[in-house]
Amino acid sequence: MAFFEQHIHDEPKTFLSKYVFSFDHKVIGKQFLWYGIAFLGIGGMMALLIRWTLAFPGEPFPVIGQFLFPHTNGVVPPDTYAMLFTLHGTIMIFYAITPILIGAFGNFCIPLMIGARDMVFPTLNMLSFWLAFVSAILLLASLFTPLGGAAGGWVSYPTLSTLIGSPGIGQTLWCLALFVLGVSSTMGAVNYIATIITLRAPGMGYFDMPLTIWGLWLTAILNAIFLPVLGAGLLLLTFDRVFGTTFFLAGAAATSGSGDPVLFQHVFWIFGHPEVYILILPAWGIVSDLLSFFARKPAFGAKATALAMTSITILSTLVYGHHMYTTQMSPLLTQSFMMLTMTISIPSSVFFANWLGTIWKGSIRFQTPMLFSLGVVFVFGLGGLTGLYLATVSTDLYLHDTYFVVGHFHYTMAASVLLGGFAATYFWFPKMFGRMMNETIGKIHFWITMLGLNGVFMGMMVVGWAGMHRRIYNPFVYEFLQKLIPINTFITVSAITMGAAQLFFVYNFIYSMVKGPKAEQNPWGVGTLEWTIPSPAPHYNFAEIPVVKCGPHELGNPNLKGDRDFQYQTEELVECNS
Amino acid sequence: MTTTVVKKTLSKNDQGQEIISSVGMIVALVSFAMLFATLMMGFAMFRLTAPVWPPAGMTKPSLLLPSLSTLCIFLSSVCYMKFEKNMADNRGLIATIVLGFIFMIIQTLLWHSLKTQGIYVSSGIFPSIIYAFTWIHAAHIVAALAMLIWLYRNVQKGVTPTTQRQAGNTGKFWHFLGIVWFIMFVTIFVI
Repeated sequence: MAFFEQHIHDEPKTFLSKYVFSFDHKVIGKQFLWYGIAFLGIGGMMALLIRWTLAFPGEPFPVIGQFLFPHTNGVVPPDTYAMLFTLHGTIMIFYAITPILIGAFGNFCIPLMIGARDMVFPTLNMLSFWLAFVSAILLLASLFTPLGGAAGGWVSYPTLSTLIGSPGIGQTLWCLALFVLGVSSTMGAVNYIATIITLRAPGMGYFDMPLTIWGLWLTAILNAIFLPVLGAGLLLLTFDRVFGTTFFLAGAAATSGSGDPVLFQHVFWIFGHPEVYILILPAWGIVSDLLSFFARKPAFGAKATALAMTSITILSTLVYGHHMYTTQMSPLLTQSFMMLTMTISIPSSVFFANWLGTIWKGSIRFQTPMLFSLGVVFVFGLGGLTGLYLATVSTDLYLHDTYFVVGHFHYTMAASVLLGGFAATYFWFPKMFGRMMNETIGKIHFWITMLGLNGVFMGMMVVGWAGMHRRIYNPFVYEFLQKLIPINTFITVSAITMGAAQLFFVYNFIYSMVKGPKAEQNPWGVGTLEWTIPSPAPHYNFAEIPVVKCGPHELGNPNLKGDRDFQYQTEELVECNS
Repeated sequence: MTTTVVKKTLSKNDQGQEIISSVGMIVALVSFAMLFATLMMGFAMFRLTAPVWPPAGMTKPSLLLPSLSTLCIFLSSVCYMKFEKNMADNRGLIATIVLGFIFMIIQTLLWHSLKTQGIYVSSGIFPSIIYAFTWIHAAHIVAALAMLIWLYRNVQKGVTPTTQRQAGNTGKFWHFLGIVWFIMFVTIFVI
């Protein structure tokens, strides 16, 4: 419970203190949102360049190709292609999804939903954003170095990422950028964990927290524990590149003594596997809440959902080896990792069944946030199921590094997180900006995105199953893959459709922010704490710290009198009177 | 009446700040611990898979300088504990800062002596480990020294609940770095 009450700070007056170097968690959240959306655009553009090359090899990219690659008349050159898929992965994971889900909605939702006036360490919060900004500049600067940006894949395995594989300064800048971003995210994580432990409103136990907060909290815990692991790996890689240490150099690559390239893979995946849960947990939490809010029913087994997410968090730290089945791991180890990985499907099924239980017989309102949440249920179900083929050693040995893997991880951590992020944006937009987003455009956005997205990722799984490898500039030089050109064209067309659908979102977002209809205090009829205060939220959030008396999902209680079908968390739970 | 009310809320506020800052510091220390644990894991992997250790053609560096730095950082932690018991007497803090600086000087001497023996960063995996790990540790020591000096300036202005809190958290970080160094000393230089 709240250990103490934060004071109401004076309202910031100057432009700088209000919009730029703000201590206010809501402003920092919005800054992260803009940051994430900008990078989503850049990463999406890169994806389209990649897709174009795969569907129409050797043909110039339309319109902007001439400007980007004048030397080749608009065709994406092979070395640039390697850089594109490296930076597409890096940008989407670390600079788009992390800032939007964790940076923006973590910052915005945590204090509002637990009834606090701000984060516990507002200065650390501001520092976290500006370090992320520095990191973005480092990464973008790497594009303008003589040999271009990093091109060793987003996992940057040595020896591709050592001086032998990528001699330019781009890879070094990439390491530094990610290190700085890691420091920034760790700062954010320390802040989130401490805030949730110490600043919950009086009466709010851990199981009275909305599941969104559960997701964000578990994410923050994983971040605080596992980002430093990546940090250590990146430091050693940087030392290898800059000072000539030999941690990851072996054989002919090392001048003397010998390091071990596989060590980096271990370090990377010890971080990397929790990282996929870092990305997906906030989306799970948000979707668990939204399904209940829009089905007008209490979340089915909310406690079990929270505990299932917790056990997944714990299990996620023990399964990293399934990324490395092909590194001559002992069969004893691969089978243990397979076993542990399969175990994750148990808690996953628990909360998945809870999601279905929540919407079962609910009076569902198909508003835009709900559509996106249902989209998450669909794509995450698909992504989760295809994960089983990759967890099993015997099938993974065949599927390793094919487009099946690409399709799988895009379904789980790109598609479902993206849709979760959109659901959250549509849902909290009124509280952020005090205006409503347009429902019709939102629904069009959803359906086109959903069609395009499934075309892209389903198609990827199909070509992957047929044996198409990832990260190849022109796979069709191999005879057995030439028959896949039409389906690759289909994937690219779907990708362009999906990209075009985002224009609806950008238009809706910007137009609604300026001209949208004014939002009421509680447009969705939901009882969590952020809806008890005016829209947009005032800079102090709560004039009086609320006292929590019931859970976050008290909807559709048959004992409720009056015209409301939901209860605020500040109200005593309605019991049967008779 | 009003003064007692103010006092009570103030102390409750301080209590809250105390809990918040120690929760924050502990989470931060977990993060730092994971950084060093990863380094140690890498080291363990090299060490356990190597046929001979130290790798062929290399002898272990002399124990003299690392032992001295271990002594320094141990004494500095003892002095800091003394200071934490009675914050009005800041000689303990000054001793901690001085010993911290001596530690850094000894580390520099260590790097210098390795260099004069012909052991460079790029001479193989063992020197890589010695240099990289001590660098990363030293970077944290520099940050901790800056914290100690900042604390010294604050304590000079008078001991308040705020400075007590700062002293407690700075101390956690300083002792943590001492423990990390001790582990590095034993695993890299002694065994």
